[in-house]
Amino acid sequence: MKRIMSENPFVLSSGPAKQGRVSKDHCTRRRPPFDTARRFASRLLRANGKFAALLGVVIFGLTPHAARALNVFACEPEWASLVTALGGDNVQVFTATTGRQDPHQIQARPALIARLRQADLAICTGAELEIGWMPVLLRQAANGKVQPGNPGYFAAAEQIALKEKPIRLDRAEGDIHAAGNPHVQTDPRNIQAIAELLTRRLIDVDRANAAVYQQRGAEFQTKWKAAIARWESAAAPLKGVGIVEAHKSWVYLADWLGMRSLAAIEPKPGVPPSSGYLAQLLTEIPARGAKLIVYAAYQDPRPPQFVSEKTGIPAIELPFTVGGTDAAKDVFSLFDDTVGRLLAGLSARP
Amino acid sequence: MTQENLVILWPAFLTGLLVLATHVPLGRIVLDRGIVFIDLAIAQVAGLGVVAADFFGWDANFWSVQASAVAAALAAAALLMWTERRLPALQEAIIGVLFVFSACVEILLLSSNPHGAEHLKDLLVGQILWVSPGDLLPALVLYIAVLGVWWFGDLRRRQGLFYAVFAVTITASVQLVGVFLVFASLIVPALASRAVEARRPLLCGYAVGIAGYIAGLIGSAVLDLPTGAAVVCTLVLTAAATIAIKR
Repeated sequence: MKRIMSENPFVLSSGPAKQGRVSKDHCTRRRPPFDTARRFASRLLRANGKFAALLGVVIFGLTPHAARALNVFACEPEWASLVTALGGDNVQVFTATTGRQDPHQIQARPALIARLRQADLAICTGAELEIGWMPVLLRQAANGKVQPGNPGYFAAAEQIALKEKPIRLDRAEGDIHAAGNPHVQTDPRNIQAIAELLTRRLIDVDRANAAVYQQRGAEFQTKWKAAIARWESAAAPLKGVGIVEAHKSWVYLADWLGMRSLAAIEPKPGVPPSSGYLAQLLTEIPARGAKLIVYAAYQDPRPPQFVSEKTGIPAIELPFTVGGTDAAKDVFSLFDDTVGRLLAGLSARP
Repeated sequence: MTQENLVILWPAFLTGLLVLATHVPLGRIVLDRGIVFIDLAIAQVAGLGVVAADFFGWDANFWSVQASAVAAALAAAALLMWTERRLPALQEAIIGVLFVFSACVEILLLSSNPHGAEHLKDLLVGQILWVSPGDLLPALVLYIAVLGVWWFGDLRRRQGLFYAVFAVTITASVQLVGVFLVFASLIVPALASRAVEARRPLLCGYAVGIAGYIAGLIGSAVLDLPTGAAVVCTLVLTAAATIAIKR
């Protein structure tokens, strides 16, 4: 590979054009067959060299050069933000999904495999949230360090007791997770517990920097507890407020702020509402005193807005995770924005 | 370093070569018959087979899912073969109607069952980057058989054989690389070789296909894009460039 690279110093500019010529060359009509075949073979050989060299360049570009820091692969942005807060300069974080993406399913990109191969620690929600893509990704990456069961794999939701654990696992109940509702990051008390365990895990996988993690972890806990107290006092008017969820994503948030979840627009998780269900919803939720309709930034806003228009109950888009809204830049501003939007929705009510 | 990242792309490239090997010759026949959307319809009906199996509560293990998918695809192929004989002028329209009809029956069957949707998604949205060498072995065996039938049996003339082979091939390849990439691998190289009136259309089709896959795989690695969609785009661009230069 190196030899080829040194022979072709300008591959990146000339490579694709040459490949184009391979294909067009033997679409030619008039060349004698034998000559065509010979030319094709030599072109193909050359093209192969170019391809390998190009790959080399690609690969070089994909690989982080200053690999001193702990390589962390975060499945969702909330965990990327948390581990950055806890690890500081000692961690280099790659995030697999963005705040506006549905974490249940993502498209395969080469960088995902490349980053997971290099990772020293993978942090995911777990509890089957990423079951559609993380198992295949782990298989393709073939990185023993981050396989489930090893210290390099940290499943955040599996560290705490989950709510809505189904009594009965039946396909008729909708797209439910056997382990319980995995959307734990909407309650800052969960983040607090997870942060403590994550600090311990960072120390486990990177003992050389144990003192730094210990100190940063303690600082985070102090700051976070103060922030929780601040959010809770600001959110006092939300206590007892009835909400309607678009998808069953908000049980932890509702539990934290004392809101009552009255209904979901999806009759069962992952199942769109039928017209009959929707009609029932439209008559029922105003009668039961619902004051807010909440939906995550990554979800289709049309169903909640439809219900909002018909009932006059305001539909509030919440960030759901870091990056879901412009204001939610890290785990702290995530809750600043969430609480702020809920309060604004409550006061906007006529 | 180099080796490590080659490991990521080579199964996808190999998958692409395998898919192209069978789809370029089949695509030329499809284009000649003027039934370009047949693979979408067959794939959709194969998906319907899976959803129906799920709906009736038949055991949902790998082989029973495959069996019901292939059975549904073969049934659709038989229907299309019959309509091609009876109503040749309306074949394209019938294929379109079959596509929309089976897609909507799926939606109705799935309205109460999100787990069926997962099976369906697995069947229709294969992702080329997730393919492991282990997945390729059954596909390799099947494609060799398909190429054998194509080489020895006259698929252009023997309509029944063509439809049967086509249904089985599409059901397998859609699960590997997804419906868009199957459509592109089937039609785009055949289209390019047809448009430039290549003297060796098969070779021209293979060249366009391979160049498109290579460009797409590299592009998706360099620009961090979803691989399947990137390959479809580079296939189309490669074909367009070939046609523009040669005509």
